[in-house]
Amino acid sequence: MTYLDYSATTPTSDEVLDTFVKASKHIGNPNSLHKLGVEAKNLIAASTKQISDILGVKPEEIIYTSGASEANNLALKGIELYKNRGNHIITTELEHSSIYGPLNYMTEHGFEVDFVPLKDGLVDTDKLNEMITDKTILVSISAVNSETGIRQPIEEIGKMLKDYPKVIFHSDITQAVGKINVDLTNVDMASFSAHKFFGIKGIGALIKKENIRLEPLIHGGKSTTIYRSGTPTTALIASMAKALRLANEKIDDDISKVQKLNDKLKANLKGYENVYINSNEYSIPHILNISILGVKPETMLHALEEDDIYISTQSACSSGNISKAVMALTHDEKRASSSIRISISAKTSEEDIQNFLKSFDKNYQRLVVKK
Amino acid sequence: MKIIKINAIWCSGCLAMKKTWKEIEKEYPEIEFITYDYDMDEEKIKNFNVGDILPVTILQKNDHEIRLIGEKTKKEIIEAIENLNA
Repeated sequence: MTYLDYSATTPTSDEVLDTFVKASKHIGNPNSLHKLGVEAKNLIAASTKQISDILGVKPEEIIYTSGASEANNLALKGIELYKNRGNHIITTELEHSSIYGPLNYMTEHGFEVDFVPLKDGLVDTDKLNEMITDKTILVSISAVNSETGIRQPIEEIGKMLKDYPKVIFHSDITQAVGKINVDLTNVDMASFSAHKFFGIKGIGALIKKENIRLEPLIHGGKSTTIYRSGTPTTALIASMAKALRLANEKIDDDISKVQKLNDKLKANLKGYENVYINSNEYSIPHILNISILGVKPETMLHALEEDDIYISTQSACSSGNISKAVMALTHDEKRASSSIRISISAKTSEEDIQNFLKSFDKNYQRLVVKK
Repeated sequence: MKIIKINAIWCSGCLAMKKTWKEIEKEYPEIEFITYDYDMDEEKIKNFNVGDILPVTILQKNDHEIRLIGEKTKKEIIEAIENLNA
């Protein structure tokens, strides 16, 4: 099997699974006062410390969630507490549906949303600066777009937004964590999910700086924080800490490796007349988005699947055949309706790339040239 | 005149047009505005042959219809309203 869909999800690593199994033997509820509870609580505290050290935040700033979608919902809907300060939110056209979903909902409840223009896929920071009004309370910009891999300068944006103490800066860092180094110094809230860095599906977190207050989505007793009730998932938390540590310990070497594989893919794919590379110089090497004019993305996807090769068409959470992200980037409907995403990781081998290129060439000749 | 808007909660173009619709609905009180959700109102929208691009805006008056596909500016919508009214 040649798996090139790491941005959709990653296979859980054996070491992470091992941690999950071992941590599951701690049967106590971390909120119980007896020693079984204390053991579980201590394990959560150690895991939280590890995650917070890697991300450069405080342990109490981590709110565990079921994943990034819940974290995004909590960050956005949770700011309702600040509605007395204003109702204006700014975002981009390169966000995940779990950003647009809550924002669409919130516009039905008195909020107003504007989109900051992009320049070659990057947020136009001057325009962003101009768009902030005395009603603006939130700016939500993802660190890396899942379809094109474009990386936004969130450090720079966060720094600029510090001039506006009333504005909270949220970033969906799901496609960045474990892949690239992320500096959260000037980010007020950040969402991510473990299954994007070889962790288990069903666990993620919202980083929320301690000066921010949020209305919980799930009310109830105090869990690991007051912002998300429910029995703390000890084993999932421990497994996420392990996954993050493993991803982080050789992150720079992994980036170099992935970059080389990406370069090879790009160099080969550029040779095809009907192929356009949509990812640009701002994209992380883990994601390569291309358009193949004249072929429906799903036709190419299934053709590659016949050779046991797995890629994506567009973000797994949208519908229809047009990629909004590619459209926002290229302003070309043909390219937006014929794009595929190849997403790789440090676990991708040279052989995987060769397999893909061989199958791609065969299917290109069949679907494009001889059509 | 009737304007049918087909949106989805995950659709960024639908979100981007919210402000515009608010203004238009205020400026054209005589128009009947109907909103359907692409995922939740499947039964109601099945006869509209909605394609792959959202939002879809359908302007209807008597037997005439204008269809706008994708995100549109306020100017484009007003032009469509005036064309149908002409």
